[in-house]
Amino acid sequence: MRVLSIIGSRFVQLIIMILVLSFVTFLLMKITPGDPIRAILKVDDMISTTIEEEKLMKEFGYDQPILVQYGQWLWNVAQFDLGESVIAKRPVLDMIMSRLPATVALTIGGMVVLFIISVPLGVLGAVYEGRWPDYVSRWIAMMGASIPSFWLGLLLIYVFSLKFNLLPVMGTGTLAHFVLPSITLGIAMSPMYIRLLRERLIATLQSSYIEAAKARGLRKERILLFHALRGSLIPLVTMFGLSIGSLLGGITVIEILFSWPGMGELIVNAVMQRDYPVIQGYIIIVGFLVVISNLIVDVMYLMINPQIKQGKEVG
Amino acid sequence: MFQKQLMMYLVFAMILAFVTGCNSGEDPSSQGESEISSETGDKSITLLFSFASTTIDPHQDWMGVRAGIAETLVKVDEDLDIKPWLAESWEQNDDRTWTFTIREGVTFHDGTAVNGEAVKASFERIMEVNDALASNLKIDTMEASGQDITFTTTEEYPAFVSELVHTNASIIKVDAENISEQPIATGPFQVVDFTSEAEVKLERYDGYWDGAANLDEVTVKFNSDGNVRALALQSGEADIAYHLPPETLDPVEANDNLRVESVSSLRAHFVLYNAAKPALQDLHVRKAIDLLINRDVAVSEIMNGHATAANGPFNPDFAFANNEEPESYDPSQAEALLKQAGYEKNENGKLEKDGESLTLTLATFQGRPELPLMAQYLQAEAANIGIEINIVTVENIDSYLWDQQDEWDLATYSMLTAPRGDGGYFLNVAYLPEGSLNPGQINIPELNELTQRLNVIANVDERVALQKQAVEIIQEEVPQSFILYPHIIVGVSERIKNWSPGSEEYYLITNTMDVE
Repeated sequence: MRVLSIIGSRFVQLIIMILVLSFVTFLLMKITPGDPIRAILKVDDMISTTIEEEKLMKEFGYDQPILVQYGQWLWNVAQFDLGESVIAKRPVLDMIMSRLPATVALTIGGMVVLFIISVPLGVLGAVYEGRWPDYVSRWIAMMGASIPSFWLGLLLIYVFSLKFNLLPVMGTGTLAHFVLPSITLGIAMSPMYIRLLRERLIATLQSSYIEAAKARGLRKERILLFHALRGSLIPLVTMFGLSIGSLLGGITVIEILFSWPGMGELIVNAVMQRDYPVIQGYIIIVGFLVVISNLIVDVMYLMINPQIKQGKEVG
Repeated sequence: MFQKQLMMYLVFAMILAFVTGCNSGEDPSSQGESEISSETGDKSITLLFSFASTTIDPHQDWMGVRAGIAETLVKVDEDLDIKPWLAESWEQNDDRTWTFTIREGVTFHDGTAVNGEAVKASFERIMEVNDALASNLKIDTMEASGQDITFTTTEEYPAFVSELVHTNASIIKVDAENISEQPIATGPFQVVDFTSEAEVKLERYDGYWDGAANLDEVTVKFNSDGNVRALALQSGEADIAYHLPPETLDPVEANDNLRVESVSSLRAHFVLYNAAKPALQDLHVRKAIDLLINRDVAVSEIMNGHATAANGPFNPDFAFANNEEPESYDPSQAEALLKQAGYEKNENGKLEKDGESLTLTLATFQGRPELPLMAQYLQAEAANIGIEINIVTVENIDSYLWDQQDEWDLATYSMLTAPRGDGGYFLNVAYLPEGSLNPGQINIPELNELTQRLNVIANVDERVALQKQAVEIIQEEVPQSFILYPHIIVGVSERIKNWSPGSEEYYLITNTMDVE
C-alpha cells in the first residue's frame, strides 16, 4: 500500500515538474540568441536571402508570442506527440529512443565501476581511519574529483589503446568497447561516494547497534559487511537518486569522446543548432527518467531499511 | 588479523575486477576492423570523420556522397572543374531548359537500372525533404524520357549545372524503405549498417557502373574530438583520420606507418567589417587594419603552416581567383593611412579623431579555435599603433552578428567561399544587401550590379571574367580582410593506396582506393 501511495504522489509531482521544467527550458531557449532557421536553410553552402529567412520564421511560427508557441507545443505533447526535428526531419521520440539504450547501458557500466571503486576505498578509509590506507583512499578520491573527465578519457585511451593496445579507442559493439567509457564515468563519479561512504561507515561503526552486535560476539567481518555497510549504503542510494541529472550531463562529455551512440552528440548538436523540438523532447524524457529513478530509489529504501516511512527522515 | 584479511579481500576484489575488465579487451572481435579482415583476406579500411551524421539520407546529409553510397549527376574534379558523373552529357536547350543524358548501365544497389524516370523521382523527393536545396535548384518542371531528363527552371538560371554538384542532389531509389539509415543508391559501396552519429558500415557493390571497388569493406566512424581522432589513427583503429588539429601532428608525422596530407580547402578565414559603423565606413581605416594583419605569421604560427595566406575571397587554385600577392604586413603604412583619415595620437598614445578615440569591438567565437588567436594577434598589432580593440567571445557568432548589429565593429569569420567550384554563392550571400550571410550590411552598388549580372550568365569564360572583376572590387573596397585559406589536414596510414584528400571534401570513399 505504501508503495502505491508513493507512486501516486510521485505521478502528480511528475506532471507538475515536467510542466515547470518544459516551460523554463522553452523560455530560456527563446531568450538565448539564435534560431534554427540558418541551419535549415543550410546558409553555409547554399544561397539564401534574409527574405527567405523571414518567410521560414513565419512558417515555423517563430514570430508568434512565446506563450502561443509553448501552448502549441504543449498541446501536441498532451496528445503524445513530441514533434519532428526541424533539422533532421525525423520524429523526436524515435531519435531519442534509439539513443537512450546506449546511454542507459553506459550508466550501468559506470555504476558497476563506481561500485567496484567506491565501496572498497570507502571501507578502507573507514576501517583504517587516520592511517595510510585512509590517506590512499582520500588521495584517490581527490585525484578523481580534480581530473576533468574528458582529459581522463584521453589519458585512458592513450595508455590502454595506444601503449598497451588492449582496448578499442572508441565506438561500440563488443564488451571491450564498454570498458574505457565505463571506467571514465565511474572514476568521475566515485570521489563523492568514496568520501560519503567513509563518513557514514565511521559514524555507523560507533553506533549502539554495532556495539550490541559486537557484544553478542558476532565476527567483525560479519558486522562490517552485513550490518554496518548495509546501513551506510542508504545515503549513497539517496545521493545517486539526486545526482542522476548531473550524471546525464557528465555522461554527454564521455559519450562524445568515445563516439558512444547515446544521447550526448544528439543533444549537443540540437542545442548548437537550436533544434527546439529535440531539446524540448530531451528535457521531457530526461525529466521523466529522473523522476522514475527517484521513485525506484524510494522503493529501494523500503527494501534496504523497512523502518523508513515516506517523508520522514531516519535518524 | 581481521583487518589484514579484510584488506586482502578488498585488494583481491579490485584486482579481479580490473583483470576481468582487461580480459574482455582481449576478445578477438574487439580488435580493429582492418586486422580481422587481413586474416580473412578481405580488404577493408576505416575512415574517421569529424562531423557526425544523424541520418545518411543522401538528400539531407553529406555522408551519402562522401561515403561512396550515392552519386550526383555531375561532380567537380580535383581541379574543381565540373565533370560528368551519372550524367554522361548535358546540353542547354534555352535559358531555362537543360537536358541531361544518364549513363547506360548505371544500376541501384538492388540491381534496378537508373533511367530518366528514376532521376526524376529522386529530384521530386529532394523538393519534398530539402527546402534549402529545392529553393537553390529552382526547378519548375521535369520531364523524363528513356535515359534523358529535362529540367526547366523557374527563372533564367545559368548556375544550375554547378548547383547539381551539391551532394544532396544525389540520385537514390525513392521507394526504398528506411532511406535515413539504409539508402539505396548507385555508388561503389552499399550500406550494411548505420548507427546514428557513430558509424556507417559499408560493403562493395559488385555491380558498380565504373568498375567494382578494390576494397571489400569500408567503415566510416565519427568522432568530434580531434585528439581522439589522432589517437585512433595511431592505434591503427582508423586508416584515415580527417581534420586533425595541428598540435596532434608531431607523433603522426614521426610514425613511419602514417603520413599527413594537407590540402587547401574551399574555406577562407577573414575579418569582417561592420559597414554600418561610421569609423569603418572610411576606406582608410579598413585598409589600415588590413595592413596590420600579418598573414605569414598567422599561417606559420597559428596554423602551424597548414594554411595558405589569402589574397582575396577565393582559393588561388580557382580560375576566377586573383593572382596578386597577399597584402603584406605594414604597420607604418597603416599609421600613415590613419593619419590621412584624420586620426592623431593623443597624450595616452591612442589614435583619435574629433575628440573620439578609435576603439573597436572585435567579435570572435571558439567554434574554430584558431579564430580567437587571430583576434588576439590583431588586437596586439592594433594596440602598437594606438587602436584599442576589445575582444568579445560569443557562443553563437551568427546570431550575435545579426541580433546585435550595432555592438560590433569587427568579427573573425569563416566561410566556404566556393563550395561547388563557383564563386557565385559567396558573392550572393555575403555581399548582396539581402544576403543571408551579410550581417555587416555590406552594400557596394557596383558589386551588387555585377553579381546580378553574373547570376544570369552561363558561359564559363564570361563567368570567370566577371568573378575576377568582382574580386578586384572587393580588393579595392576591403569590405573584409581575408587572412588565410586553412588546409584540410588528414592523417593517412601508409597501407592506403591510390587515395588523397580533395579540397572539396565531397568524395571521400572511391572505387579506386586500395590497401596493400
